[in-house]
Amino acid sequence: MDTLAAALNWLAEWGFIFVVAGAIAAFCIRDPIQRRSLVRSLLVVGGIVLGSIFLAAAYGKLKPIPGFPWSWASMKTSIALFAIQVESYNLLSSSAANTVAHVLPFGELFLGVWLISGVWRRYSSLLASLVFVGFMIAIYSAYRRGLKIDCGCGVGPPEEAGPAALLRDGMRFLLPALIVTTGAFWLRKQTSAPRAAPTPVSAPAVR
Amino acid sequence: MLSIVVFGATLHATPRVAAPQVSPLVPTSDAIETYGSSGAPITMIVFTDYECPSCRALYENSLRPMINDYVASGKVYLVHHNFPLPQHKYGYEAARWATAAARVGEFANVEAALYDNQDAWAATGDISKYISAAMPTSEFRKVEQLMKGCSFNDAPGSCPLDASINADRALGEEIPVRATPTYVIMYKGHRLPAASGAVSWPILKQFFDSLLSQ
Repeated sequence: MDTLAAALNWLAEWGFIFVVAGAIAAFCIRDPIQRRSLVRSLLVVGGIVLGSIFLAAAYGKLKPIPGFPWSWASMKTSIALFAIQVESYNLLSSSAANTVAHVLPFGELFLGVWLISGVWRRYSSLLASLVFVGFMIAIYSAYRRGLKIDCGCGVGPPEEAGPAALLRDGMRFLLPALIVTTGAFWLRKQTSAPRAAPTPVSAPAVR
Repeated sequence: MLSIVVFGATLHATPRVAAPQVSPLVPTSDAIETYGSSGAPITMIVFTDYECPSCRALYENSLRPMINDYVASGKVYLVHHNFPLPQHKYGYEAARWATAAARVGEFANVEAALYDNQDAWAATGDISKYISAAMPTSEFRKVEQLMKGCSFNDAPGSCPLDASINADRALGEEIPVRATPTYVIMYKGHRLPAASGAVSWPILKQFFDSLLSQ
């Protein structure tokens, strides 16, 4: 389990490099058949990378607290602990924080599996992009309101929800999501475009 | 489909259960700034600064109802540690008063008085006014005796109570405390990661209930 979590975390952290590199390569290729083939591969890799981000996030929220085995009860405890963390950001009311804490991990789990499965990738990647946009709006909102990510009265220099956090998360999360979404819709358009109609054989004229 | 099966299978893999830890955060004897029984299944260790508004929010919204409910019923043992911050002018002095009050058995009343009147004494520095109102006069006289050499204008290090406050701070720096309030929850000897910021009692209670149902 720990190995899988480490792999997911690694992909979530660094996977965007593969997606961006693939997108650049696809952009440079002139041959349309080779480009479509590369975009297909890119979408598979991108789906795994995006799915890993969500699965790693869900794992972090659902994994048992130290000393407890995996069980439904231990996951409920982890969710209750996550509710405390959500509330401490002071962005949501207690009831909203509690709802988010109970829904978000399973939403992330579902979206992660959906992205990796490749089923209706256009829509899964579009949803992932929207989630990341919402996430970044929340960070930006916290930045504008002057809130610190560290809560309460700080001791050292706090990690501000500032441009650095936006740039980092934009590069790691939003950029690959937008690339995969664009690629998925582009590929769909390419493959569903009407082929050139065959030249009709003219019927012999009836005299 | 494969990913669902793999992920589902890994969910059921049972990790090794870590052995309970003995923590220096929980006092073993002379525990005076505590609430409840040390035999409670849950221990909550809180690092606070009496002049910190978030610490007041934690106390007023969570700790006070918790003391009346889960501490009183033996479910939670609450341990307080001082972590006065340099940016709060009277935070350290307030910690001295609370430490002195704890030594005469008046910690609970003084903590409540300090948080209830935080805005007032943080503006004027007149902490003794609220301390004296929080306990019988005879007890306040004892606290005053302990506070000799400990007022705001006395030189640092002249107060015998400072050793206790500084020991608390040193413990906090080991965690490390990055903001106040910071709290560490222990359940049956298992120490959970430290958390910061105010939390409401219903959310905290939900977590405790979940722990207790394990």
